[in-house]
Amino acid sequence: MALLEVKNIYKSFGGVKAIQNFSIEANAGEIHGIIGPNGAGKTTIFNTISGVYTADQGTVVLDGKDITKLEQYKITRLGMGRTFQNIRLFKGLTVEENVMCAFDPQSRYSIVGGLLPTPKRRAEEKRGRELCEKYLTVVGMQDYLHERPENLSYGMQRRIEIARALMCEPKILLLDEPAAGLNPTEVAELTELIQRISKEIGFGILLIEHRLELVMSISDKIHVQNFGETIAVGTPDEVQHNPEVIEAYLGKEE
Amino acid sequence: MSLQVIINGIATGSIYALIATGFALIFNVLKFSNFSHGATMTAAAFIAYFLVSSKGMGLLPTLLIAALAGALISLFGEFVGFRRILKNHSAPTYFFVSSITLGTLYEGLVTIKAGSNFFNFPSFFKTPTVNVAALVVSTGDLMMFGISAVALIVLAYVIQKTRLGRALRAVSFDRDTAQLMGIDSTRIIQLAFVISGILAGIAGVFLGIKYTLYPTLGSLVVKGFIASVIGGLGSLTGAVIGALLLGILETILLAALGSGYSTIAVFAVMLVFLLIRPQGIAGSNVQEKA
Amino acid sequence: MNALVSNVLTQVSITLIAVSGIYVLTGLTGMFSLGQAAFMAIGSYVSGLLVIRAHVPFVLAALLAVAGATLIGYVIGYPVVRLRRDYISLVTLGFGEAIAALLNRMTTLTGGASGLTGIPRLVGLPLAFISAVLAIALAAFFKTSKYGRQCIALKGDELAAKAMGINVTRVKMIAFLLSVALTSYSGVLYAFYMSYVDPTGFGWKKSADWVIMVFFGGVNSLTGSTLGAFILSALPQVLRGLQNYRYVIYAVLVLLILNFKPSGLLGEWELTPRNIQQAFAKLGKKNTAKKEG
Repeated sequence: MALLEVKNIYKSFGGVKAIQNFSIEANAGEIHGIIGPNGAGKTTIFNTISGVYTADQGTVVLDGKDITKLEQYKITRLGMGRTFQNIRLFKGLTVEENVMCAFDPQSRYSIVGGLLPTPKRRAEEKRGRELCEKYLTVVGMQDYLHERPENLSYGMQRRIEIARALMCEPKILLLDEPAAGLNPTEVAELTELIQRISKEIGFGILLIEHRLELVMSISDKIHVQNFGETIAVGTPDEVQHNPEVIEAYLGKEE
Repeated sequence: MSLQVIINGIATGSIYALIATGFALIFNVLKFSNFSHGATMTAAAFIAYFLVSSKGMGLLPTLLIAALAGALISLFGEFVGFRRILKNHSAPTYFFVSSITLGTLYEGLVTIKAGSNFFNFPSFFKTPTVNVAALVVSTGDLMMFGISAVALIVLAYVIQKTRLGRALRAVSFDRDTAQLMGIDSTRIIQLAFVISGILAGIAGVFLGIKYTLYPTLGSLVVKGFIASVIGGLGSLTGAVIGALLLGILETILLAALGSGYSTIAVFAVMLVFLLIRPQGIAGSNVQEKA
Repeated sequence: MNALVSNVLTQVSITLIAVSGIYVLTGLTGMFSLGQAAFMAIGSYVSGLLVIRAHVPFVLAALLAVAGATLIGYVIGYPVVRLRRDYISLVTLGFGEAIAALLNRMTTLTGGASGLTGIPRLVGLPLAFISAVLAIALAAFFKTSKYGRQCIALKGDELAAKAMGINVTRVKMIAFLLSVALTSYSGVLYAFYMSYVDPTGFGWKKSADWVIMVFFGGVNSLTGSTLGAFILSALPQVLRGLQNYRYVIYAVLVLLILNFKPSGLLGEWELTPRNIQQAFAKLGKKNTAKKEG
């Protein structure tokens, strides 16, 4: 059984069929690209898998546990991390605190520790800060602990968001257009980073991306979406030569 | 439960409906709860009292002046309380504080002028009650119901059938897109404030007639809020239905429990209602933007 | 110490306790309670009645009052913390009015509109002051704990907070209950300092007052909120002749701040050893720059 098994999910909003019959299986160490034109329902797939929306039909199973109808935060705690298309770091918190927020739900001290500096609280906070440093080092942001993310470049913010997602200790990581708004150098660095964490930490990655050169170069398998439907699945090489895909991207040849 | 109770309830409910729709209009365009609505009602009613009623003029001039005063106060509020915040793209929490502060300001100004005294509108009617079939209805209630109904029907017409109404709905739905479509959203927001202020002015006078006029009269705005919550935040139809239901419920509870306990009972009903159907009667669940 | 000064300081201390609760609720989570003063009333009346009518010792009565208020807070909060933030303001406002009506109505128990008299005067400046310091310290520890961070996170972006595994409903509830507990405790102190309470002082305007203080000083800074509360609650005591104008002056000040410096007097600045050092370093630099220039 695969680590993540999404089977035949559907999601509609009013009359708009955002996802129709989408399925995917992913295992640790694999990278799955999801591509398609704007409005193809890619982000909705992420939102449905991660529990922002509940699927109208179909099931989502993570590591043998049915998470289809679970609340979003519970799904995260079972091992689903994600980043957002339009970076959503927390305002009013430093880089370190942003990453700590993903540790806090796992932090083991009670409300007494919330109000008083108990030894337990100090120990847990220390453990959290060490993990922060570890993950920020993984993404190369360890020197910016006390900066405010809004003062940093777009590329750096992307990295912080990835570090924050890593802090959730995900089994499956959802990356929603991580290269959007980055310059070519940053894209190259990001590509390297995604490949590295996928190998070193070893989780499954689902990747939505518009930059085909990025997706094609690192994905093991690619799903092509159009108008809510999956029009092709296969290795990068296979989908690149699929006539339906070419049509969806380039328009029909007359 | 007699028909009489229901009729009294509907009369009370129609005032609540004015408050709730005025509140819902602003909620629609700015997506926040305007807590200065209560004090706007009070201030407008007081202005009408001092300028018109206390000089012996009748109900109609009083209502007109109250509506005008409500519109002006509301417009002033939009200008000092909300416009810059909207322009700065500050967090929506600032709207709250701003509206609370405006409420405090109006109430403070009324208190300076009126002290903490009670004022009575002159009795506008020669005959206090009329008999309709076997029922005794107070003339005041009948008139308030009639005027509220007319005001709400006019409002519904404006929103559904006119160009301005369409623009208002467009801005309520999505301010930025409406702006791109060439709608001057600042003007439309002002329009919403004006209409809301007119409704507040009329409601203020009605509350003053029903319960006497005093500086903290505005706290009765709570009834309008509760009606809005029951009806579904931001839905005008829901607000009217919620208000009528609340009016009837309250009249029944008041007869059964007396004034203090009925307030608590109404509140408990609202809490239970929120547990069972948080999206309100109208069912348009307004979630914070994801 | 002069009696007037001591009176002002005691009342300011009591207000500071309530405001530390508002900071936790509004400053950290962005929720507004317009019925917060009703929890103060519950603290006052429950503890007062327990001591007068049931001869319960003060400390126990205080504990019971705070526990009772917190329990009621849970019942009120349960349906609303999971909804859009407007609901908590609307519902608490309704709650405040309902409590005021109830206190006015239950004449035999509460004394109705004429108030509850004969509460022994057991609280003075020392207890009020120490309590205020402790309340602010608790709020400060809370802010820097995992709870405080999660509050700030969900204030900015609930969806992203949930995506990080934060149980938004629970964290909001904890913040709400902490603020209720602090506010009701301020009510206990108030009752046993004034030795008399009546329902008029606990309306929505008092709750609004506290929110205004927090925003005046800086909603994102506990130091700012405390400073705001200190200035605005001491001001009317000093300007006693202007009682009626007080709210108007407040409102105008705050509208100016909201329009022109929305982050409040202090912005996000906190009084921490590190920030003080930095402030001094900056000051030093400026001075040397001046000398050199």
